[in-house]
Amino acid sequence: MLWYKAWLETRSRFLTCLATLTIFCAVFVGHAQELIRPEWTADCNRLLFVTQQFVVIMWILGVVLLGMGGIVREKAIGTSSLTLSLPVSRARLLGVRAGVGVLEAIALGVVPWTTIFLVSSLARMPVLISQVGFYVLLLVGGGLAYFAMAVLVSSLVEGEYTAPAVAFGVVLLTAIAFDAWLRPFNLWRLVTGDYYIDRHTYLLSGHFPWLGTFASLSVAGLMLLASVKVIQSREF
Amino acid sequence: MTNTTVILTRDLAKSYGSVAAVHGLNLSVEPNRITAFLGQNGAGKSTTIKMLLGMVRPSCGEGTVLGKRITDAEENCQMRRKVAYVAENKPLYGYMTVEQTIRFASSFYPDWRADVARRLFNEYKLPPQQKVQSLSKGMRTKLALLLAFARHPELLILDEPSEGLDPVGIEHLLQTLVAQSAEGVTIFFSSHQIAEVERVADHVCILDNGRLLVNASLDQLRQSYRRIDLVFASAPPEREFRITGVEKIQTKGHQMSVFASRNAEAVIERAHDLDAVSVEVAPVGLREIFLETVKEN
Amino acid sequence: MFFKLSPTTGQPLYLQLMQQIRHATETGALQDGDQLPGIRTLAEELVVSPNTVAKAYSELEHDGLLELRQGSGAFVCVERRTRSMADHVQAARRRIRDLIERLREEGLLDEEIKRAFEAELLYPAETVRKR
Repeated sequence: MLWYKAWLETRSRFLTCLATLTIFCAVFVGHAQELIRPEWTADCNRLLFVTQQFVVIMWILGVVLLGMGGIVREKAIGTSSLTLSLPVSRARLLGVRAGVGVLEAIALGVVPWTTIFLVSSLARMPVLISQVGFYVLLLVGGGLAYFAMAVLVSSLVEGEYTAPAVAFGVVLLTAIAFDAWLRPFNLWRLVTGDYYIDRHTYLLSGHFPWLGTFASLSVAGLMLLASVKVIQSREF
Repeated sequence: MTNTTVILTRDLAKSYGSVAAVHGLNLSVEPNRITAFLGQNGAGKSTTIKMLLGMVRPSCGEGTVLGKRITDAEENCQMRRKVAYVAENKPLYGYMTVEQTIRFASSFYPDWRADVARRLFNEYKLPPQQKVQSLSKGMRTKLALLLAFARHPELLILDEPSEGLDPVGIEHLLQTLVAQSAEGVTIFFSSHQIAEVERVADHVCILDNGRLLVNASLDQLRQSYRRIDLVFASAPPEREFRITGVEKIQTKGHQMSVFASRNAEAVIERAHDLDAVSVEVAPVGLREIFLETVKEN
Repeated sequence: MFFKLSPTTGQPLYLQLMQQIRHATETGALQDGDQLPGIRTLAEELVVSPNTVAKAYSELEHDGLLELRQGSGAFVCVERRTRSMADHVQAARRRIRDLIERLREEGLLDEEIKRAFEAELLYPAETVRKR
């Protein structure tokens, strides 16, 4: 029942983020469609691109929030003695927490984009489902690295407010660093679709960036493994 | 039921920086007994328990619980399946309801007994749909204890179980401990309630400043510890009474009080040899044994 | 059966329980064939370790006062030997009554007499040199 526990722990955060994101998308797209003539295809696609920029920011902040918690936080609130006395390995505890978080992150990407698709379809905008899929895959495939970072930070940093502060700080720093020094590896631009957008049609074109996404997911995987090692070596 | 020593440690030690929380501990807890673990706050009891359960890594030394090495994460995990533990702060997840908590705990242990859980649930009068964070301290303590008592583990470890309970609750706790012991569960509990320990414990370990000072059966302690009050006609000859077993001598005027952990007969004989005017022997309760042992250290 | 065990008197609880069971058989509160509560039941009632009850029962069985039947429990066997023990106890009590009367006449207070008995009784097998 570790999954159930992880769900109960993240439930309110998840539902709040989901509601915020979904409502924002629905309202944003719904409002914008009044300003666009359905024939102007490029504008419709550009709307999607702009929406993704907002979605990316909110999604990343959301998954960082979802990555908080874990046994280190439990130590601060006093329940680690209960969790650690369970006949489960620390790796499994972290694995389940990460698993629930990943599923929630995926939902946090799929549901708002589905809403965008539905709202824009209702407004008879020519939105291609393949484009929606592209955006979702970019978001989740590239962005899970941020979730993994949050899990790693929550394993290293004690303190209920210090951990999220550090994690959000890392988000900010990486955004700056990507723009300033790490141009070729700019995760931000991958996730927002900036690399693949055709400035005329505003369609995401070209092949799906499997390599970039795979690299990002690998980094995410490594960070989760590092989190396991950190948790295993800690004392409670 | 095991016949091997349930908890066995060899020179178990833990230091935090330059501060040693536990020194060279050689603990042995035998099966089917109730062993009490006494010590002041900060004596190292909780640290020892945490080392046994794999939450803290020993600085040196080794130990086994139910035959499994405590320093091996895999073995420790297997062992925890058969060990029930309630920490001092009676930890529970505040966001779960009482019912969710019980269902959660029961899912991990094959030795869970639903009938016992139901009985204790009714006896403790716990509100099933209420969230743990809104329960009173007494209710939380009872729920935390229920999670352990509704099982049939091989070993039950309790850290200050009676804290947060009223006298009726404490009586019920002791009865439950006794019932568990009768079913073959080995019990290892730490407590400040010396009166309760004296009633139910078979064996006592006294820890002070990380060292094990006393490790004996309670009956043995009852039979060996004596306080001998002597009155002499002249100044009491303290030097004559520094024999084996004598822990402490106090002199006031013509009176001398000898506190002996064993060998009291030799003290009495010496007293008669030295023409003591009055020799009175009295038993020593566990509270006094504890206080004197800890003070001397 | 009303047993009262006192943890602080310096005497192991199992010995106290044995004495009280013996006393009950001597006074007739427990008669030949009576069944004593099971180990777990008595332990829970008295709130003492089951090992205490088990040891008391086991020692009494060794002495012949109890018969432990697998599955059924502990049964009292008051043999003729034990009945004559009861007579011994009666005779001893008469002697003790006489001794107490004499000590009272000598001016000792009841409290002093009681403490002296208790102190001497702590060493049942010791021969303490008299002055």
